[in-house]
Amino acid sequence: MMDELELLKKDWQKKGKQLPKLSYDDIHKMLWKKSSSLVKWIFYISIGEFIFWIILGNIPLQGDAQLAETKYTDMIASIFEYLGYGITLFFVIKFYLNYRKISTEDSTRELMKNIIRVRKTVMTYVWISLALFASSLLVLITEMVFFEPEFSQLIERASDADNPLLVYGLFFFGVVMIIALFGGVIWLFYRLLYGILLKRLNSNYRELQKLEV
Amino acid sequence: MNKELEHQFVTALENNQNIVHKVCSLYTNNRDAHNDLFQEITIQLWKAYPKFRGDSKFSTWMYRVALNTAITLYRKSKKRVRTQDYDSVIFKIKADEYDDTQERQLKLMYNAVKQLGDIEKALVFLYLEDKNYTEIAETLGITEVNARVKMNRVKNKLRTILNP
Repeated sequence: MMDELELLKKDWQKKGKQLPKLSYDDIHKMLWKKSSSLVKWIFYISIGEFIFWIILGNIPLQGDAQLAETKYTDMIASIFEYLGYGITLFFVIKFYLNYRKISTEDSTRELMKNIIRVRKTVMTYVWISLALFASSLLVLITEMVFFEPEFSQLIERASDADNPLLVYGLFFFGVVMIIALFGGVIWLFYRLLYGILLKRLNSNYRELQKLEV
Repeated sequence: MNKELEHQFVTALENNQNIVHKVCSLYTNNRDAHNDLFQEITIQLWKAYPKFRGDSKFSTWMYRVALNTAITLYRKSKKRVRTQDYDSVIFKIKADEYDDTQERQLKLMYNAVKQLGDIEKALVFLYLEDKNYTEIAETLGITEVNARVKMNRVKNKLRTILNP
């Protein structure tokens, strides 16, 4: 085996003459071509995610404006709004700083680590935004249940029912299911997108990690 | 100034293009993919070039960027026609250079190397390029001891592929 590998080495080093030869102009032309690297993909997708959640966070999640009783929930809504801005700002900065660290001059392991770190930053942002979105949805629903006239009627009717707890329980269950479904769809989307995009990177990174344990 | 940098870079790459071609032939299976990867490596090298200070040799620096691009950054594009895999130029063996047994052996070896994983290929590549374990370890970001351990495993794996 050793001899075979040595034989291969000798042959390998003689290969120079058989390799394609590009001219100065061929190479020069390539300098201005667009890169289609994984890092570029990740960059655009991440920007897309930030934009998506910023837009989603700014959809006015308010019930009927005429309602005077919603002062309390209004306050909660604006807390959510500012919290959302703060979180977005924090993660955009973190994303930018981590992104800047990606360098092809690093060792392979370091490069992979930095790419994964960028992904994790955006991923954390998405889950926090989702949680925030779900919470504000809950606030909105609670607000509607307690202050919207139609809902009040429903509640009255529910209280008259044989088993009001069951009605409340079912309602609550429905809300949780909707939120879970929403989260599930996003989770699935991510599994698919990054499963395809990062499959190779993750398995190569694991291989290098395994060596260092 | 920019023009000068450009000229410097293209000349250096032109003179060292063999390294990139060798990486391409290890990591791709057809001519289109080879050219595609070559282009991506060129773009990445050019992007990193302003930071290249010349503390290391241009070629040493190239190994790192080229391998990193091939292993991590390169995305195979879908639009490529999936013709039958062609024997990359580098894997063709001139008949007159060796006697039959050697030629056969080499062919088997090259095929075996092509079946290795991305990281394993990188190790073999650097080994074939006569890099020492310090350099191999630094390029991949692992310790020297682990580079040796891994290389031994790769050798064993090659042995298994060759003698199933």
